[in-house]
Amino acid sequence: MGPDREATDMDETPTTRHPGEEQVMDNSRVRVQSLQKSFWDESRGEVRAVDGIDFDCRPGEIFGLLGANGAGKTTTLRMLSTILKPTGGQAWLNGHSVLDEPEAVRRSLGFFSASTALYPRLTGRETLDFFARINRYPAERVAERVEDLIERFGIKEYAGARVEKLSSGMKQKISIARTIVHDPPVLIFDEPTVGLDIMAALEMQRVIRELREEGKAIIFSTHIMSEAEKLCDRIAIIHQGRILALGTLEEHRQATGQHYLEDIFVHEVMAAERGEDATAGAGASSESDTSP
Amino acid sequence: MATLFRYEIKRLLRDTRMILIAIVAPLVLIPIIIFVMRAVERSEERRLDDTVYDYVLVGDEAEWGREIVAAALELEANDPDTLRAPVRFQEKQGENVDSLLTAASIHLVVEALSPAAYEAIRAEEAAADGAAAADSSETDSTDDPAEDDQSESGVDGLSDTDAEAELLLPTMRLRYRAQSDFSRNAADRLRSRLDEVRTEVRDSLYRARGFPVAVDQIAAVETENTASAEKEGGAILGLALTPFLILLMLSGGSIMAVDAISGEKERGTLETLLTTAAARADIVAAKQLAIIAVGFTVAVINVLNLAAYFVLGVIDIPDNFAVALSALDLLLLLILFLPLTVLISSSLLLLSGYAKSYKEYQIYFLPLVIVFLMPSLAGAMPSMDLRSAIALVPIAGIGVAVREIMVGEYDWLFMGLAFVSTGAAAWYAATLTERTLSTERLISASDMDEADLLGGPALFPRHVLRWFGVMWVALLLISMWFGDELGLRGQVVVNLGFIFLGSSLLMVRRYGLDPRTAFALRPVHPAVWPAVLLGAPSAYLVGIGLAGLVNTYILPVPQSTLEAFGDALLGDEMPLWELVLLLTIMPAILEELTFRGVLLHGLRKKMGPVGVCLVVGAIFGMFHVSLFRLIPTGFLGVIFAAVVLLTGSVFPAMLWHFANNFIGLLPQHMGWVSEETVLPWWAYATAVVGLAVAMWIIWRVRTPYPDLKKKRPEEYG
Repeated sequence: MGPDREATDMDETPTTRHPGEEQVMDNSRVRVQSLQKSFWDESRGEVRAVDGIDFDCRPGEIFGLLGANGAGKTTTLRMLSTILKPTGGQAWLNGHSVLDEPEAVRRSLGFFSASTALYPRLTGRETLDFFARINRYPAERVAERVEDLIERFGIKEYAGARVEKLSSGMKQKISIARTIVHDPPVLIFDEPTVGLDIMAALEMQRVIRELREEGKAIIFSTHIMSEAEKLCDRIAIIHQGRILALGTLEEHRQATGQHYLEDIFVHEVMAAERGEDATAGAGASSESDTSP
Repeated sequence: MATLFRYEIKRLLRDTRMILIAIVAPLVLIPIIIFVMRAVERSEERRLDDTVYDYVLVGDEAEWGREIVAAALELEANDPDTLRAPVRFQEKQGENVDSLLTAASIHLVVEALSPAAYEAIRAEEAAADGAAAADSSETDSTDDPAEDDQSESGVDGLSDTDAEAELLLPTMRLRYRAQSDFSRNAADRLRSRLDEVRTEVRDSLYRARGFPVAVDQIAAVETENTASAEKEGGAILGLALTPFLILLMLSGGSIMAVDAISGEKERGTLETLLTTAAARADIVAAKQLAIIAVGFTVAVINVLNLAAYFVLGVIDIPDNFAVALSALDLLLLLILFLPLTVLISSSLLLLSGYAKSYKEYQIYFLPLVIVFLMPSLAGAMPSMDLRSAIALVPIAGIGVAVREIMVGEYDWLFMGLAFVSTGAAAWYAATLTERTLSTERLISASDMDEADLLGGPALFPRHVLRWFGVMWVALLLISMWFGDELGLRGQVVVNLGFIFLGSSLLMVRRYGLDPRTAFALRPVHPAVWPAVLLGAPSAYLVGIGLAGLVNTYILPVPQSTLEAFGDALLGDEMPLWELVLLLTIMPAILEELTFRGVLLHGLRKKMGPVGVCLVVGAIFGMFHVSLFRLIPTGFLGVIFAAVVLLTGSVFPAMLWHFANNFIGLLPQHMGWVSEETVLPWWAYATAVVGLAVAMWIIWRVRTPYPDLKKKRPEEYG
């Protein structure tokens, strides 16, 4: 399977722009600007799950969102996948605005999370066929694409069995194949290793790296420090809906004087909770400006 | 969408258990149940026929009684007419017959009583029962009120010779236990034979005394049914068809619907689906089509199933049953059922979206079935005529229209109305359904969407129609149940004061609306006032003209309705000032606050200005409950809404409304005009011009209603 050919299949050059929005289309595939999401809570009033975040993600990059549970990672990624509607700010995937072109956004996107399950009564092969078609993969190439993926993930023996009969490891492979079956330029993995055993988690990491080599822009959220450390090219530390710091691991180290990501994370969070201005840290990236 | 649909069906077909339970089980079970029931019935019949029934004959006229019973049993044993096999009776001897009967040792007690003994027993029983039995103690009574477990019936005097001494004839009573099939059967059989004996004895008496004609020819009554078998069959089938099909569609469609959203939610596949490039509208359409397809299939299978039983004779068809439907009838039925089908599938999908799991779906399903079945039974109500407001009630209108088609009556206008009303409900449900899938709440309970986030005022537009729906129902019920008792005064107070003002204030409070914004209490350009004073009489005349046109060409209003309305307006003994207060000032203020205030405020962002005017007008018209006032009041409602949108204020509409009602009231009250008054055509022409000028002035000095709908992207994740 030639990654180069694949990458151009669905790769739409951004032609539509939101009028009046200044949008710097360097080479980033994902661009997030002051994105905001609030919820209404009867007792607490307005709750800001995501409070104005900015970042971008380029082709061939794994961008990590690192944060505790409830930090706003999933909400952010759901806004990028157009399941949730931002209450403020804007985001573009592959040049399409999540507000104005949700279908084009979803066509350019493969979304994988612990809560994206498979249809139990379809076989693996049917699953891939179904998702390729509804993601508007060219109909005449669907069969070939499906067989390629079955080959690639080594799921040939059980591709004809119903998903409900498979082990969780097998399901996971089909699930990843499902995510990339329409060959989207942008991939979102929302805590993909939650609940996986160590071997399955390692397999997942291997596949994600492979996809990076193919030039995909990958957003990867996790609360597991070691995973972010090993996998991500750049890491944003997200806490209470805000990005506290953003940069490469090396930049984080320099900014905080800590070596391990765990310590860096604690350092940033403590600083934020002390009310200090913690954004000076990873100065290299301009998107990290989230000062209140 | 084709892919989505194909896979929906594919997944369903693989759910073997569901298919077994939903389709195969009824197909197999129903014949089994029918066969078992028939077998039981037959063996029961045989046992009833084969039993020898034991009875005890008691009473002071036992000899007489024995004679009569013997004659009756003779008939039973030898009667060639009877369709049933004769049963045998056997007399037993016994003391304490009541306890024998209770212990089921015998089937029947026959009492032959002299008049004195009979009276004594009656008096005894009357004393025991209190006054209840007292008035039924005449000798001629054939059926006495049943007592707990021992019912009795009296067979009156089968007498010897003396025809004058009626009161002195002996009486026969049969005592049996109604809870025993055998005891009851014994009583029934003997009773009918005793009746025959009595008739025979009576006839022979008549003949012996020279009565010239056969007794049963005196005052003979015969009934004849002039309806054809087809009409009769159509009437029967017409009653049941709509509820039956609704039930089948609901249960059939439910197989698919339960899986459609709530199932996807429970399995976690919904998020997978929603993050694909499939458009929300396509997903909804595919699911809806799948529900319709499955519901339709199940309905067809069941109807064929039933038809097969009729053909095979498993189920008996009533005698003379026939149904004649032309191709046109079938087409009409199909067209009428179309919006119903969409309404059902949308409602099921809506339910599926609302429920968080299979279990929740099941809980909500029964109320939904009731909501659909109740109105569909309107067709079964004997006096329900399609040419009535029922045509406007979704589902019910279809039910009545179907019944009328089945008996070959075609009321095209009202059939159209029934179609449109159910169609509108179907359309509304369909749009609601599509929105459901866009609701962020689908993904998880904590993820709410924008309206929930912004809280009350933003949530209000979504709920406003529901509020008015409830208000309409309340108004309708109150006018139906209490209309007469309340009188004009009461109705105005309840409708305007409680329903309109009360609900408006509740809405303002519940959604935290700013009263000045919600009621559109804003100052206006001074030129608006003279324009309103010009517009009001003009619009009044235009309204009359419009109503006249409708009355003449579309929907004739019965004269009685017009007069009744006029009388209601005049309110016999009310002084003018009170009429003015109740019929002009209060409606002007309260109806405007409700319809052009709160309702318009709630709708302002849901549709464009023209849509707002039309919908506000239509709803305003519907609140006048009468079909014949729909057009004129709807027309006024549209104008008032337009004035509010143009001026941004409710006050000009209040003045206009007041002036309109005042013009309607005063001349009639003072007797200057009557229902017969005819205006020349130029009066109407002038009115049209006047109305146009008034609207033009208001348009020129317009200060538009703020914060109207802005163009937003339709499809939103």
